[in-house]
Amino acid sequence: MTIQETLLEFQQVNYTYPGADKPALAGINLSIPTGKKCALIGKNGCGKTTLFLLANGLYKPRQGIISWRGKPLQYDRGFLMKLRQSIGLIFQNPEQQLVASTVEEDISYGLCNLGLPSDEIQQRVEQALIEFDLNELAERPVHHLSLGQKKRVSLADVMVLKPELLLLDEPTAYLDRPQTRNLIALLNKIHTSGTTILMATHDLDFVCSWADWVFVMDQGQLILEGKPEEVFVQRDLLDAIQLGVPLIYEILSSEAIEKNILEQFHQRLLNLFS
Amino acid sequence: MSLQIDTLAYTNKLRRLAPAQKLLFAIALLLISNFSHPPVQILIAAWMSIWTIFYAGIPAKIYLKLVYIPILFWLTSLPALVINGVTINHLSFIQNDIVNGVNIGNYYLYISKHGIEQGWSIFTRAIAAISCFYFVMLTIPFTDLLKTFRRIGLPILITDLLLLMYRFIFVLLNTASELWVAQQSRSGYRTFNLSMKSLSLLIGQLLQRTLEKYHQVSLSLESRGFNGEFQVWHSSRYYISKRYAMEAIFGCLILMELEFKRYIF
Repeated sequence: MTIQETLLEFQQVNYTYPGADKPALAGINLSIPTGKKCALIGKNGCGKTTLFLLANGLYKPRQGIISWRGKPLQYDRGFLMKLRQSIGLIFQNPEQQLVASTVEEDISYGLCNLGLPSDEIQQRVEQALIEFDLNELAERPVHHLSLGQKKRVSLADVMVLKPELLLLDEPTAYLDRPQTRNLIALLNKIHTSGTTILMATHDLDFVCSWADWVFVMDQGQLILEGKPEEVFVQRDLLDAIQLGVPLIYEILSSEAIEKNILEQFHQRLLNLFS
Repeated sequence: MSLQIDTLAYTNKLRRLAPAQKLLFAIALLLISNFSHPPVQILIAAWMSIWTIFYAGIPAKIYLKLVYIPILFWLTSLPALVINGVTINHLSFIQNDIVNGVNIGNYYLYISKHGIEQGWSIFTRAIAAISCFYFVMLTIPFTDLLKTFRRIGLPILITDLLLLMYRFIFVLLNTASELWVAQQSRSGYRTFNLSMKSLSLLIGQLLQRTLEKYHQVSLSLESRGFNGEFQVWHSSRYYISKRYAMEAIFGCLILMELEFKRYIF
C-alpha cells in the first residue's frame, strides 16, 4: 500500500444513536484516498449510512476526529456550508432528497443556497440538465418522475455543486439493469472529471469490476481495506462476517482449476468487466 | 384525482401562456361574476368552459366530472332553500310566494317562488365562480402559480409553506396508497369491522411515517445547504398571447356592458 493524499479521514470515531444500546460506529478508523473509486461494503446495519451522515457534518461524533483535507471538522455554519459543498451526499431514497417541485428548480436549489448570481445559476443548471440528460424533464414536477429518473435528478442536484468527494448510499438499490448501467456510466464520467467517489453497496460483483479501493465494515468498524484483488482473496475473513466474495472469486477459488488456467481466467474476466 | 389535475396543469395547451395573463383573466371574470346577474353569470361559465375545454384542451369528460362535484353540493342544499313551512294562521302573508304546497297538521309546507329564485341565483353564481377556479387549477401548474405569487410580493414564509405542502401532499398520498395496497393484499378490508381496524392502523402508521419522512427530509435539506430560506431558480419560457388577451379584454367589456344595460332581461 502506497501512501497517498487523503481527502477525508475518520480517527477513532464513535457514534451511538440516542436510546440505542450498541454504538453504530465503534472507534472507526478510515481514510478516503484522493481520486479513487472507492466502495464500502458491509451488512445492513454495519454503520455505512451513519458514516455518511457524519462525513457530511449532519451528525456530530460522540468521540474521535473527522478531518477534511487534514483539518478537523468544525460544526459552525460557515464551515459546514463549505464542507457540504465539497462533499456531495446522495441518499439511498431519492424521494427524500428532492425538495423543490420541478426538476430544474430542484437542481438550482443548492446553487441558490450558495448565493450565486443568477446568471451563473442559470448556466450551471442548463449544463447539468444536458449532462444528465434531463432537458426533457426540466419543467416536470418531481412526483411525476420514475425512480430511475429521480435518481438521476438527485445525482444532478449534487454534482451541480461540483463536489470533490461524492458519497453515494446504495445508489443501485431501486434500479433495474439498464438504469444501473446508465448510472455507472455517469459515475465513471464524474470520476474522470476529477471527483473522488465513495459508494456504499451490496453488489459485490459490481464492486469487483468497478472499484479500485474497497473498504469492508462490520459492526461499526473497518475490518479490511485495499484493492479489490487484495480484499477478495481473504475469503475466510469475509465468510466469517457473512459477506462472502464475488462470483468470480467464488469460481476462482474452486481447487479443480489449475493455477495457470486460473490466472488466465481471472485476467479474462476482469477484462470483460472493466 | 389530484394527481390527474396536476398532470393536466402541466400538459395542457395553454401551459406556455404566461401564468400572470391567465391568472389576471380568471380574477377579472371572478370579480364580474360576483356582482353580475344570472344571465351574465351563465355566459361567464360558458365562456370559461370554452377556454378550458377547447383552448386548453382539457378533456370534457374530466372537466364535467369536476363541475359535477359542486353541483352535487348545490343539489343537497336546494331543498332547504326552496321548501318553506309556516303555521296555518300565517298562510295569508305568503300567498304570493306559493308555487305548490300541502297541509300537514297545523303547518303548511310549500315550494317558495323566492326560494327558487334564490336557488337559481346561487347556482349560476356557483358555476361561474367554479369555472374560473377550474380554469386556474387546470391550466396553471402550482409551481407557476407560486412563482407569480412570489413576483407580486407574497411573503416568502407563505410561498415556502405552500410549496412544501404541495410537495408533501404527493408524498403523503403515495405513502397512504402503499399502505392501503399492502393491507388489501392481506385482506384487511374484508368486513366492515376489519376495515375500521385497518383504517385506524393506516392513519396511525401514516403519522409515524410522516414523522420519519420529516426527519429524513430535514437531514437532506441540511446536507444541501439549507439556510433558512427556500430559494430556487427557474427558467421562464412563457409567451404573452395578443390573440388571447384581445379575446379576454373584449369579452370582459361585453360582459360588463351587458350587465349595465341588462337588456337581456
